[in-house]
Amino acid sequence: MHAARNLRLCTKDCVCLFICPTGATNTETGQIDFDKCLDGCRLCVDACPSGAIYLVSSTYPAPQPKHPSVLETLYSLVRSKAAQEDVAHSVKEGSDDAALRQICTVVETSSRIIAEDLWRESGYIIAQSEATRALLKAMISEHGTMEGFPRTEVEELLSRLS
Amino acid sequence: MDADVRQMTWTELAALCTNLEKACTKQLKEEEARAFASLASFYASKRKAQGDASLDDLLALIEADLSTGYRSANEAANYADDRGAKRALLWGEKATKLLKSLLARYAKQKEALTADTGVFVCEICGFVYVGQQPPEVCPICKVPSFKIHEVKKEAI
Repeated sequence: MHAARNLRLCTKDCVCLFICPTGATNTETGQIDFDKCLDGCRLCVDACPSGAIYLVSSTYPAPQPKHPSVLETLYSLVRSKAAQEDVAHSVKEGSDDAALRQICTVVETSSRIIAEDLWRESGYIIAQSEATRALLKAMISEHGTMEGFPRTEVEELLSRLS
Repeated sequence: MDADVRQMTWTELAALCTNLEKACTKQLKEEEARAFASLASFYASKRKAQGDASLDDLLALIEADLSTGYRSANEAANYADDRGAKRALLWGEKATKLLKSLLARYAKQKEALTADTGVFVCEICGFVYVGQQPPEVCPICKVPSFKIHEVKKEAI
């Protein structure tokens, strides 16, 4: 469990530099050096006067269980949002009218965001879950031999998530 | 009951991957986020353009969500007392109504709709705003306006 700095909130009071026992808070990037940070130490988190430092967990609980009928209706909305994104994309690709293309981009973007949120509520809220691991394995077995599938990256991802 | 990869469209898969990419970014896991982004681009590259697609098709799909999709999902979420699902459905339904209104306004006004004004989308909930400057706080999800981005008109 390491500390991280929210750069939007950090007012450079530097108390974290004074209190950090390893120098992890003092870096040229502005972010904390996660490798130097002591697991669960949280001295800087408690000392920061602007509340700009927080802890990033290394373990997470399983996502909340979902009722099958909730999942079924959420999946069906995801499918519909993806179909809307596809239609907006196709209309955009088939047109050279800048105003129409702009409207299509808005629909594509918004539909994607709504679909992502529906996926989040359907058990895919974090990458470190059984559901995500099962998903990645299924992707490898279904699409792993297709041209362009980033197989090595996905396999490395799976080993990093387990 | 996990989602079945074999039954998902390419764009559903792409959205699942960009969602997990965002989840990794929030945990400052850059390499994991990049891998999900690569997967998302792979799935996005697989989809085929539908040559005869029109804004009327789009409006029909949106209206179906508003008349049946959200209604059934809300019934299920109420029955299961699932506040997380109710939250996502409330935000999504509001954003969907705004998309419907955007398309209806565009059908009437065409390029005049955005001739002298900007269009913005909230990166958290999909809220859509036509105007000069987005609200300070998103009216749907209450995120501050730095998460609400302008979609520019682009020349080809």
